[in-house]
Amino acid sequence: MSTTSTSAAFAQLQDAVAAVPRRLGRGYWVLVGLAASLLLWGAWCYSIIVRNGLGVTRLNRPVMWGNLITDFVFWVGIAHSGTLISAVLFLFRARFRTAVYRVAEMMTVFGVMTAGLFPVFHLGRPWFAYWLFPYPNQRHLWPNFRSPLAWDVFAVSTYFIVSTVFLFVGIGPDAAALRDVATGWRRRAYGLLSLGWHGTDAQWRHYTRAYLFFAAFATPLVVSVHSVVSWDFAVSLTPGWHSTLFPPYFVAGAILSGVAMVITILIPLRKVLRLTDIITPHHLDMLARLVLFVSLIVTYSYSVEIGLSLRSPPSDPERSTLLYRATGAYAPLFWLMVTCNCVGPMLLAVRKVRTSIPALLAICLAVNVGMWLERFNIVVTSLSHDRLPFSWRLYFPGWIEWGMTFGSFGWFFFWFLMSLKLLPVVSIAEMKEDLAHARHVGAGEAAHAG
Amino acid sequence: MPGDHEGVSRRTFLRIAATAGAAGAACSPPALPQKLIPFLVPPDEIIPGRPLFYRTVCRECPAGCGVTARTREGRAVKLEGNPEDPIGGGSLCARGQASIQALYAPDRLDGPRRRGADGKLAPIPWDDAEEALAAALTAAREKGPGRIRLLTRSEPGSAGAVQKALLRGLGGREGDRVVFEPFDAAPLRAAEKALFGVAQLPVHDLAQARTVVAFGADFLETWLSPVELTRQLSQGRGRVGAERTRLLWVGPRMSATGMSADRWIRVRAGGELPLALALLRWLVEPGHLPDLAPAVRPLSPRLAALDPTALVRRAGVRLEDVDALGRELVARRPSALLGPGVASQGPEATQLAAVLLLANVALGNVGRTVLHGLDPMEDPPSSFADVKALLDDCAAGKVDVLLVHHADPAGALPAALGAGGALAKVPLVVTFASLPDATGAQAHLHLPDHHTLEAFGEVSPRRGIVALGQPVMTPLADTRAAAQVLLELAGRLPQPATPLPGDLWEFFQARAEVFLKPVAAGATDVRPVLRTAQERGGAYYEAAPGPVALDASAAARFLAPPPEAPPPRTGELDLLFFPTTLRGDGQGPRPTWLDEVSDTVTTVSWTAWAELSTATAARLGVVAGDVLAVATRAGRAELPAYVYPGLRDDVIAVPLGGPEALALLPGDTDPASGALAFAGARATVAKAGRRIDLPVLEGSPYQEGRSIVKNVSAAAPAVKRPDLSARMYPEPPHPVHRWAMAIDLDKCTGCNACVVACYAENNVPVMGREAAVMGRQMGWIRIERYLGPERGKLRPDFLPMLCQHCTNAPCEPVCPVYATYHTPEGLNAQVYNRCVGTRYCSNNCPYKVRTFNWRDTKFVRPLDLQLNPDVTVRSKGVMEKCTFCVQRIRYAEGVAKDENRPVADGEVTPACAQTCPAKAIVFGDANDPASRVSRLAAGPRGFNALEEINTRPAITYLARVREEDP
Repeated sequence: MSTTSTSAAFAQLQDAVAAVPRRLGRGYWVLVGLAASLLLWGAWCYSIIVRNGLGVTRLNRPVMWGNLITDFVFWVGIAHSGTLISAVLFLFRARFRTAVYRVAEMMTVFGVMTAGLFPVFHLGRPWFAYWLFPYPNQRHLWPNFRSPLAWDVFAVSTYFIVSTVFLFVGIGPDAAALRDVATGWRRRAYGLLSLGWHGTDAQWRHYTRAYLFFAAFATPLVVSVHSVVSWDFAVSLTPGWHSTLFPPYFVAGAILSGVAMVITILIPLRKVLRLTDIITPHHLDMLARLVLFVSLIVTYSYSVEIGLSLRSPPSDPERSTLLYRATGAYAPLFWLMVTCNCVGPMLLAVRKVRTSIPALLAICLAVNVGMWLERFNIVVTSLSHDRLPFSWRLYFPGWIEWGMTFGSFGWFFFWFLMSLKLLPVVSIAEMKEDLAHARHVGAGEAAHAG
Repeated sequence: MPGDHEGVSRRTFLRIAATAGAAGAACSPPALPQKLIPFLVPPDEIIPGRPLFYRTVCRECPAGCGVTARTREGRAVKLEGNPEDPIGGGSLCARGQASIQALYAPDRLDGPRRRGADGKLAPIPWDDAEEALAAALTAAREKGPGRIRLLTRSEPGSAGAVQKALLRGLGGREGDRVVFEPFDAAPLRAAEKALFGVAQLPVHDLAQARTVVAFGADFLETWLSPVELTRQLSQGRGRVGAERTRLLWVGPRMSATGMSADRWIRVRAGGELPLALALLRWLVEPGHLPDLAPAVRPLSPRLAALDPTALVRRAGVRLEDVDALGRELVARRPSALLGPGVASQGPEATQLAAVLLLANVALGNVGRTVLHGLDPMEDPPSSFADVKALLDDCAAGKVDVLLVHHADPAGALPAALGAGGALAKVPLVVTFASLPDATGAQAHLHLPDHHTLEAFGEVSPRRGIVALGQPVMTPLADTRAAAQVLLELAGRLPQPATPLPGDLWEFFQARAEVFLKPVAAGATDVRPVLRTAQERGGAYYEAAPGPVALDASAAARFLAPPPEAPPPRTGELDLLFFPTTLRGDGQGPRPTWLDEVSDTVTTVSWTAWAELSTATAARLGVVAGDVLAVATRAGRAELPAYVYPGLRDDVIAVPLGGPEALALLPGDTDPASGALAFAGARATVAKAGRRIDLPVLEGSPYQEGRSIVKNVSAAAPAVKRPDLSARMYPEPPHPVHRWAMAIDLDKCTGCNACVVACYAENNVPVMGREAAVMGRQMGWIRIERYLGPERGKLRPDFLPMLCQHCTNAPCEPVCPVYATYHTPEGLNAQVYNRCVGTRYCSNNCPYKVRTFNWRDTKFVRPLDLQLNPDVTVRSKGVMEKCTFCVQRIRYAEGVAKDENRPVADGEVTPACAQTCPAKAIVFGDANDPASRVSRLAAGPRGFNALEEINTRPAITYLARVREEDP
């Protein structure tokens, strides 16, 4: 009796996931078209930069980094939640992760894919971007290992490789399950993705070991990647960048933006793909608590940064720059950032707000905006308000930079949407495991009661 | 075999080399020359890759500084000062540095042109042009005298002599040749004439002066001989205590000269004269000046009759100010009172000049700091009234042929005069200009002159100096020396009235016989003497200043109190016109470097502006960039506002050198000298309702309390420096040289000569106005002009900012591809080929001295001919910055190595240091403790910029000396 109902539940689950590609109708293609147009627009903008040089942007001296680096840090941040949810929460045995981690992991991979473009895009001579990689060359030159930008190359490429492998390892059993019910090209694709999975005991044993290993391997990366990205700033001399607080502050910020992005995507996704039974309000509630928790860390970082600077005399450039963020030309952005990243998530402390899906979506959307602004604030205000007051100058992005920023969203969502056609958005194998576990525990409790 | 490396045989090497060469050739862009043809018969002296220097003279202003032109492969690439020349002393100002741009201007007139019936200019052979002009001159001569006129710049040499001879030959009168110099100090000549009987300009020796008081005379910018006067002032600067030369600036606006001053006496517009009178009165008052010059004693009663209270009220100062000024001048003698300058040249300018001369006499300055008898008076400019009369004649149709020689009345005279309309009435206007200018646009015949660097010539700016110009290269275009054209014209006239040689060189040699006499030492053949003089840049000989006798009765005429100015109507402000080095007098097109480089005082580039004081701007609700509608009785102009605290509240100030100022200038004269009265106008100001993005270089004009530029004083003569002895990492070794620089901020006047020199030397591209608005100028050195230590406090400081070549350079570790590199000689090298353009180095540079190539710069022919072949032209996407002129370091090192000796101190001079008129920049080897730079850097005034962040720069600034404690 219990066995049949379990397998029925398994079948129901598998059907729900397998049905995802079929549920993507006209609205889906409109979205794909929208993403593709944004992507093409961004590509056009970038081609203008390649042809004419970075003069077509609004960058200047002293603000030599603007939107493109902001986008880089933003997308690396977005890429954080995946590994956090799939690896860290896996190690912590946080149950609620099962339903949501696949979407988070997909986001991670596409997020890194997006982020990785920007360091190349922002180069003056992007056609020589490969010089940043260590390879034997006739110039007998290694990259400069003292440069945080060289560290970035390793941090981001490592993260990309590991998170991709992690994603595909997790997909293996699911792809096998879907392969067995699919037809046509999908069957062949699932065949490839299943990596020869047959569900044997040996495979399961190796799989669980490998998964644990990857989770353990990826966990430090969650901390390291964004720490390294933060060093791009913290290692420099620039007031507003030069701070030992940056690594934890950046990691927390990355998790905040990543989880907020996961929620932002999950809410419409579960509705449209009819996964409301699998991704339940409980899962959203748990994610919302995570947002609240990380937001508190971020808020604390903001206060520490400004609070500590106030101990310096007013002439101190660090203090001047940090206060300038809150009072200068970019103050509206700063306060919008505080509203989005600190005040908004605080509301999640109220259960009523947290469990209201529209409210949650609004708050998480705002966090996404706020986290982009945070990076803009860090990158731009510090540069525009450097040590020599004579060289102070403002930067406001032009249409080319905005084209590339929005183009990056196009790129990200294009890949995400396209992958919905193939990749299982919920881990069938792990859900089945949870389901069986729950049944088992439930049946046991019933037996005891009987 | 020592040459046999790693088993590569000679044959293999050749095979690889040939393949690589062929592949390289096949891949070359088509623009590169495919063949290099060596000279069959190499030209004399030209060795490819080696510079060749010629001495010549700068003709940008009448000062006549000596020039050393560096040529490479037969073309001039850089101008520098001639160190043997007593005027320039080896320096050039920003204008002099930029004058080479006229040589390679893309819009340079490349041959004679005649305006056809359709109004368009069409090329014409020289012979036809000269024939046509000769016919017109003949016809005009028939009509009687005065039908042929010549408007020329001052030509105290062969060119002027030829002009005069030709006009005489054509039956012209004395006044038919009008000499046009818009900024000529005519009132000073008139005052000299009245007081001492000779219409000469005095020559100054400020090095002897202990206190210099400039009554609106911007002698560090445009007045008389700015390079020379800057050098003289700087000789008394750079030291602490009573020995240091003090500079006081009198005027309603703190000019760039005023920024170098120790005190600013902010008189109201037109207040210079009442203050000067009050000062003179104070000086002759019994008991004030014990050894009052006897010559001025007879003036005492007349002066005593003046009401000092009324005078100081007119001047807008207090009696105590006069008292303090007088006491200082009595205590610190000799001094020098200078004026009037263009900014203070009003309707009573001659009286101001006379009163200042009298004060100089009273203080015993004449003969010590103010010298007479040195003006050769070879070709003194005509007065503005004469120019006006010429235009009136033109407008009245009394002129048939107007020859215009390097004068641009339409571009430099007040619009109210209607110079354009007057020229239109002349049937034949001939211009010798080599660039299209406002006057040339109305000329019927263009006979383009050579550039100074392509022609022979000589000028006598002073007794004892005959500066010789000589061609440093073959003319680029089908141009002819204007004097040569005039000589040829004389030959074409039917009856040559006076026999003139047909060739300018003959004419010149005949003159040389005369002007070389003082240096020829009785030699019969002057040709070798001339040759030597040309190699030196001129004939220089001792000329002693002469005494002058004051005509006291004439002097008494200048002691009447100036008429009371009518009170301003509501909403009216005093309008102050001021000259700037970069904008010049407005004649002809401005070289783009001068447009690109930012004005010293405002840091504005590419546009004219109007200055309002902070309080006035607040009262009118104006912020920087608001377009103001400024109106005088002469006309109106729209100018963007710049809010400048160094201005009186009752004044609006507008720079000269553009059509905006000309539209506003009423065109009044100083009756005593006939000079144009720049000062004395009033204007109404209203917001035009528009805003523009003002191209300013400055971010914050204040140091924001960060104490970036240090000051010292007599009480605190040493800069407090942080203890930076702690070391975390070993420092990069500099085994042989450690190139370093010292910049004396007590001498620096912010004149921008270094900035322009750097553009010229290092192929720095001109980016244009849009880029200036966005902060994308490419200059490797900039003048950071701080108005004060904190907001609202006016205490200007200059900080020339260039790459500091730090020992712990923040730019170096952050570059991922080693494009920034610390050389063993201490230079922060930028390897353009390696640079991928992350721009991280700029972000991490606390001095923000790195520039990024936002786009590819095209140096279209002939601009590319000016490029320094020793310096790479950078492509888009790479960073660049000051190299300490590494090409010059390498050159000097190469020469020293060839001669098997170490590089001597002073042998390497970067372009900025070379041209600095104040000699404020010293370059050398910090490893040599005896070098000048080491000794200066070790002095008590030395400090590094942003020293506290421990970048350990190679540049040591020497703090400016202040009266009060820093």
